[in-house]
Amino acid sequence: MKNKLVRNAGREVFGTVLMVIVALLIGAILVVLSDNQPGEAYSTMLRGAFGSTQKITELFVKLTPTLIMALGVSVAFRAQLWNIGAEGQFIMGSICSMVVALYLPVPIPLRMVIAFAAAVVAGGLWAGLAGWLKTRFNANEVITTLMFNYIANYLLLYLINGPMQDPYSDLSQTDLIPDGMRLAKLIGTYRLHAGIFLMLLVVLIMIFFWRTTLGYRINLVGQGEKVATYSGIHVKQTVVVTMCISGAFSGLAGFIETFGINYRLLDGIAGDAGNIATIVALLGSLNVYGIIAAAMFFSVLLCGGASMQRMTDVPYSVVDVIQGLIIILVIAKDTAMARLNTWFGKLFARKEKEHVE
Amino acid sequence: MEQLAVKMQQITKIFGGVKANDAVNFSLRRGSIHGLLGENGAGKTTLMNVLYGLYQQEEGTIEINGHEEKISSPIKAISLGIGMVHQHFMLARPLTVVENVMLGKKSRRGILLDTKQTAEELKALSDRYHMGIDPYSKIWQLSVGEQQRVEILSAIYLGAQILILDEPTAVLTPQETEIFFDTLRKMRSDGKSIILITHKLEEIISIVDEVTVLRGGKCVGSKLVDDSVTKDELTRMMVGRDVLFNFPPVTKAPGGVRMKMENLSAVNDKGVTALKNFSLDLREGEIVGLAGVDGNGQKELCEVLTGLRPNSGGRMLLDGEDITAQNPLFYIRHHISHIPEDRHATGLAMNWSLKNNLILKRLDQAPVAKHHLVQGKVVDELWQKAQSEYQIKAISGDDEARNLSGGNQQKVILAREIDSDPRVLIANQPTRGLDVGAAEYVRSKILEARNGGTSCLLISADMEELLQLSDRIAVIYGGELMGILPRGTDPLTIGSLMMGKRLEGAEA
Repeated sequence: MKNKLVRNAGREVFGTVLMVIVALLIGAILVVLSDNQPGEAYSTMLRGAFGSTQKITELFVKLTPTLIMALGVSVAFRAQLWNIGAEGQFIMGSICSMVVALYLPVPIPLRMVIAFAAAVVAGGLWAGLAGWLKTRFNANEVITTLMFNYIANYLLLYLINGPMQDPYSDLSQTDLIPDGMRLAKLIGTYRLHAGIFLMLLVVLIMIFFWRTTLGYRINLVGQGEKVATYSGIHVKQTVVVTMCISGAFSGLAGFIETFGINYRLLDGIAGDAGNIATIVALLGSLNVYGIIAAAMFFSVLLCGGASMQRMTDVPYSVVDVIQGLIIILVIAKDTAMARLNTWFGKLFARKEKEHVE
Repeated sequence: MEQLAVKMQQITKIFGGVKANDAVNFSLRRGSIHGLLGENGAGKTTLMNVLYGLYQQEEGTIEINGHEEKISSPIKAISLGIGMVHQHFMLARPLTVVENVMLGKKSRRGILLDTKQTAEELKALSDRYHMGIDPYSKIWQLSVGEQQRVEILSAIYLGAQILILDEPTAVLTPQETEIFFDTLRKMRSDGKSIILITHKLEEIISIVDEVTVLRGGKCVGSKLVDDSVTKDELTRMMVGRDVLFNFPPVTKAPGGVRMKMENLSAVNDKGVTALKNFSLDLREGEIVGLAGVDGNGQKELCEVLTGLRPNSGGRMLLDGEDITAQNPLFYIRHHISHIPEDRHATGLAMNWSLKNNLILKRLDQAPVAKHHLVQGKVVDELWQKAQSEYQIKAISGDDEARNLSGGNQQKVILAREIDSDPRVLIANQPTRGLDVGAAEYVRSKILEARNGGTSCLLISADMEELLQLSDRIAVIYGGELMGILPRGTDPLTIGSLMMGKRLEGAEA
C-alpha cells in the first residue's frame, strides 16, 4: 500500500530530475557549439559554487531570498492564484522598511522591529490588493501582479532619484542605514548574515503551514471554487488572505536583502529574483522539500554560472538558456512522462509477448 | 447476408498494466439497436472510446461496414459516420449550442461562418425529435439533461450513421424516455445503427434488439433480445450474482416537521425565476422524493437549501428556527448534509486524497482540527472507519479521489455526509451513473439514515428509485410544486404531474 505512494512520489522526483538533466545536457551542447569543453564548464561551475568557504557562504546568501520568495509564491500557486508579482512585493517590502529605517525617530531596536513589520505588511498588501481586485472586479491576477511590478519599480526609481536620494551623493540611491540596524555578519567579512535564520524559520513555518486549517483551505480553493464553496469556505476572503500571505514572504525577502546585503535602496534591487522564485516554486512541484531542493539547485546554477563566465570562455547566457529550458521542460514534464510510460509499457509488453511466443 | 455495421474482434486495451478490455468481441448489425450492458468499470465506455478513436487498442481489429479501419482519432470516426454522446459531456461551456455543433464541421460559406443556417437546421432537427433546444442558448446555462440532448442533436446533425449513446436516459422522465425511444426506433428504421450503453435492464428489454454483456473487461456473451429474456437472467450475466431489487417495507412512522420551506423562490444563472413559491415540509425520519424532469428547479432548490444560492423570496425553518439566507458554513454547522448532483466539480476535491475528502467540511472542527492544526491521526482513524463501514474500494486513504470509480467516489461522499449525524439530508441524483450494485448500496444507506431519524429530500430522475424509497413523492415542474403524492402512486400519475399537470385538491 505504502509502496505505491512511495513509487508515485519517486516518479514525481524522477521526472523532475530527468527534466533538469535534459536541460543541462542541452546546455552542454551549447557549450560545445561555442567551442568549449562542457565537462570543464560544468566542473568550473561546481567549483565556483562549492570551491571555498567563501563560495559556500555566497551560495546561502543567494539561497535566502530565493527560497523565501519561492515558498511565498507557492502559497498562492497552491490556490491556483498565479501570483507572478514577487518582484514588486519584494520592492515594496524594501521601500517601506527603508522608509522606517531612515526616517522614523524611535530607538534603533524598536525601529528595527517596525521596519521588519513594515516590509512584511507592505509585501502582503501589495499582493493582497491584486487578490482584492480579482474578487471584486474579476481582474486576472496574472495581469495585475505583473503590472504591479512595474508600478513598484517606477516608484523605487522615483524615490531614489527624488525624495529619498542620498543628499551627499549624485548616485541613484538612498543613504545607508545606521550600523546598528544591519543584519549581523556570521563569518568574518563574508556577506553571509543573520537573515539565514529568518529563512530557516520560514521553512519551519511552511512545513507546518500546510497542516493548518488555513493551509487546507487555501489548498481547497485551488481545487475549484465550487467544491470550496460547497465545503463552507468563504472563497473570496480566502483568495485575498492567500495573496496577502504570499506577498508577505516576498516583502520579508526584500527586508532581508536590504538590511543584510545592500543597506540602502538602489536601482534593480530585486534583480531577477521574482522570476527565479516562480521557476523554483514550479520546479519544486509546490512542495516545501521540493522547493528547498530546487532553490539549492538554482543557487548553484547562479553562483557557479558567474564564475564559469569568469574562468572559462563560456558566456553566462548558457545559464539563462538552462533556466529557460527548465521552465519549458517542467511545464512539459507530465505529458513527457506519460509518453515515456506508454512507450516503455509497449516495449515491455512486446518483450513479454516475444517470451510467450 | 446482412452486413455488420461494426465488427470489433479481440479488442484489448491496457491502462497502466490493467486490462480494461480483454479480447472483447463486439458486432453491431446494421439498422439495429444494440445494448451494451455491464456494471461501472466493466469496460463498456472504454470499448466504445476505442471505437470512437479516443483510445487506440493494444490488440484487435475493427471493421466498419466490412472494411478494416484504423480509427486514429474522433475526426476519423466522424468521417466514418460514427457519433458518440458521452456520459460526461464534451461541450465547450462558454459557447452556444450552435457554436458547439459548428466546432466539428466546416463552414459552407468559406471563411465566413454559417451560424444562421446551421441554427435553423438544428432548430428543425430539435423540433422533429421534440428536444426543445434553442440553438442560441449558452451551454453553461443549460441543465444536465438539456446538455445531453444537445450532444445527441449534434451527433445526429453531423451525420452519424452509427450512434454510440452512453447512458442517454439517465436524465429523462418515463414519458420523455418513451419519446426518446420512438426517436431511436425512427432512426433505426432509417437504417441507422445505435449502440446504447446502459445498466438499466428495463431499457434493454423494451427497446434493444441485441445485447452484449461485459463484466470485468471481458465479454460475457451476446444474445438477441426477445420475450424469453428476463431481467434476472441479464442481472446474473452482468453482476455474476442476484441483486436485491426490493427493500424491506418501512415500519417506523415519520415524526414531527423538521424542515419547513415556505414560498421559496430563486433565480437561476440566467437570472430567470427557476423556483416559484415552493413550499414543502420534511418530517423527522421521512424520505420525501422529488420527481421532476431535470432542469425544473431541482438544482436551484438544493442550492438554496444549502446556502449555495441566495433565495429571492420565502423562508426556511429548521425545527422552528429561521435559517433563511445564511452562508454554506451555517448549514453545515446545522447538520444539513448535501449530496450534490455534480460529484466531480462540487462533491469532491478530485486531486485530494480520499481521507482529506472526508474532512472537507470539518477543517476547523474538533476533533479533526485542534489549535488550527489538522490532526493527521484523527483523519486516519476516520478514514479507516469509513473505508470498512462503507466498503470503499481503494488502495489507501492517500489515493486521489480521481482514481476511484464513480461508485466508490459516491461512497466517500456518503461517508462524509451521512456520518456527520445529519438532521436533514439533501440527496440530488445520488445514484446517477452508478452501477446496480453501488446504486443499491447508496439507497440502503439513505434508508438507514432515514430510519435513524434524518429528514431526507431525495431528488432523482430514476422513477423506480423514487417509488422504492420515498414515503411521499413531491413533483416539481417549472420551479413550482405540482403536488404531493402518497407512497405507492402509479408512475404514470407522477409522470403527468412532471409534465406540468397540477394535482387537484389539497396537499396529500
